[in-house]
Amino acid sequence: MKLNSEQIIDKSLKLVVCFFVASAGLWLLAAALFAYISAAKLTDPFFLSSFEYFTYGKIKLAQANAFVYGWGGNSIFAVTLWIVARLAQTESRGRVLVIFAGIIWNLAITFGLLGILDGHMTPHEMLEMPAEVWPALFISYCVIAFFIVVVHRSRKNKETIAPQWFLLSSLLWFPMLFLIAWNGLEINPARGTVQSVLSMWFGQSLIWLWLTPVALGAAYYIIPAILGRAIDKYYLAVFGFWCIATLAPWSVVHHLEGGPVPMWIPAIGTVMSIAMIFPIAVASTNFHSTAFLDISKVWDSLPLRFVIFGTLSYTISSYIGVIFSLPSVAKITQFSIINDFHFNQRVYGFFSMIIFGMVYYILPKITGNEIAKGAKAFHFWTSAFGVLILLLAYLIGGLTHGVLAQQPSLSWASSVISSVMPYFLITELAFIVLGFSQLVFVINVWKAIIPNPFAFWTCGDSQSKPETSA
Amino acid sequence: MTKKNNNNQSQGLMSDQDMVEIHSKLNVDKHPPTKGFLIAPLVFVFVFGCLIFVCSIQLAHSTNQFQLHPPTEIVVLTEEEKESLRIERKIESGKKVFAVRCASCHQANGLGIQGQYPPLAGSKWVTSDPALISNIILKGLKGEITVKGEVYGTSAAVNMAAVPITDREIANVTTYVRSAWGNTASEITEEEVSFFRADSEDQVEQWTGTQLVEMFPSVFSN
Repeated sequence: MKLNSEQIIDKSLKLVVCFFVASAGLWLLAAALFAYISAAKLTDPFFLSSFEYFTYGKIKLAQANAFVYGWGGNSIFAVTLWIVARLAQTESRGRVLVIFAGIIWNLAITFGLLGILDGHMTPHEMLEMPAEVWPALFISYCVIAFFIVVVHRSRKNKETIAPQWFLLSSLLWFPMLFLIAWNGLEINPARGTVQSVLSMWFGQSLIWLWLTPVALGAAYYIIPAILGRAIDKYYLAVFGFWCIATLAPWSVVHHLEGGPVPMWIPAIGTVMSIAMIFPIAVASTNFHSTAFLDISKVWDSLPLRFVIFGTLSYTISSYIGVIFSLPSVAKITQFSIINDFHFNQRVYGFFSMIIFGMVYYILPKITGNEIAKGAKAFHFWTSAFGVLILLLAYLIGGLTHGVLAQQPSLSWASSVISSVMPYFLITELAFIVLGFSQLVFVINVWKAIIPNPFAFWTCGDSQSKPETSA
Repeated sequence: MTKKNNNNQSQGLMSDQDMVEIHSKLNVDKHPPTKGFLIAPLVFVFVFGCLIFVCSIQLAHSTNQFQLHPPTEIVVLTEEEKESLRIERKIESGKKVFAVRCASCHQANGLGIQGQYPPLAGSKWVTSDPALISNIILKGLKGEITVKGEVYGTSAAVNMAAVPITDREIANVTTYVRSAWGNTASEITEEEVSFFRADSEDQVEQWTGTQLVEMFPSVFSN
């Protein structure tokens, strides 16, 4: 039996990638549940109010952390490992250690979330899990990242291309961000304003320098791979990459507009946000001018449909983000539910949609099991619909909230909150739709990994069966 | 399993090896050969230039020179600012005096009433020599006068002797009248008014028009 080089690599990756994708799916479900509870609590404060573990402040943080570290982290490992190994034309290394580190990573998040629900969170944005779990998370991350870098270092072709830049640098940026923030917040706590600036900077940079580059790298990989044509205007990609690397960590501080910090911090943030127009324009030019040359193929291929939805959402919502960074606009929107719009557009509308597409692309290749078309299409349409109404509700509701909150003559509870309440109801509905959609996704994933659960338990090497029969 | 089979199974059209090779070649060649020039790089250079421009302006306006505290200047008025502030207040005070003591006849708009009360806006009697208007207010005026080509003085006369008026009030109200409604004459100070008061001590009756025309020939010569 002969396998071509890509199949040999896929075979070596099978166990590791399946492990990460499967656990990412479970975290996605947990995050969906937390998201629904926190949304329901906004419409009905008495919902689950007799349980101390489900107070709003805890459940909201648990959702963000489960989403970013559980679903985001695991799926980043899976996607990065697979793309890097395939582009390096090298089999994966240190599988046992990577899986072991993956188990530690997931256990640490589990304990971390339990800690949050128990009330032991730290006050730092996106570092809310208790201080005790962070060394475990960091070390397991480093082990996984190390073996991905090893795979990349032993690549056949010494030249590197755009997906590799984005994926590898996001792999290195997370520990960098974490060490800077953890040192400044916990080991040698900075004094005064610097601490809150640092905390906020980490929380936002995490999304810009960890989640975003992975999704961009995946899009740079999957678009040419499926369409069979090179990225259009590829020579711009390198500028886009360096602009994100240099501008993004500066641009995030615009969220401090109007805060008790030196004036130049939000001013620089605004300026760098405006400059971010450039890398956003580069990425969307690359993706869309390639994709729209072959739009019927994009429509036919479900993974690509997910990815193009994600890149379109990236473009549109990033431009909206630039507008909201202007001081005159930020004055209105700063303390409204627009902040939820920013978070959800990035992690749901952009990152998750691209990862969904990637997973649907990878899984059939490594497991050999196709996923039912109808189930995938159901997932796509419910996701697209859910994300769309979620974002619209947060956007319009946020503007209403911000504008009404500026008028001191209005009474808070009876005027402001009651006008925002319909939008809270819509987000609750959207989270229900998204929850069903993600349930279908997880069932799809697990069915592809373990097509017949009972056969899997009875004969240990059922995975190799299709290959021997072929 | 053949390669063809694999392609069918996996819907992928470009193998990873091809992808790396094609794109790294693109990194060197930049773009396929063209006859003319490429528009996209020009557009991007232009956009980036504009962004740098806009960003620099925003930065210059909003960073407060990268200092922690907002600027705290010592507020010192220059001589000109002090002077204009003083004149402004003097005119403000004169306006109140005018509203109380003059506006009932000469009207708040300084146009008077045709045939009865002469206008102050644009009148030579007001805007010429400081001594002329000060003297009229100090002693009053009776008989016929000609203002802006019309004859007045058939019905009433200015008689200030009935209600005493101080030098400062006169200085302020004349300064107001000489700068309001398009008039642009000079300021009159309190010292000047007390000099005019001392100078006209001999005059017991109200002035008459002819008397004043004789006293200030330069004003009425043309």
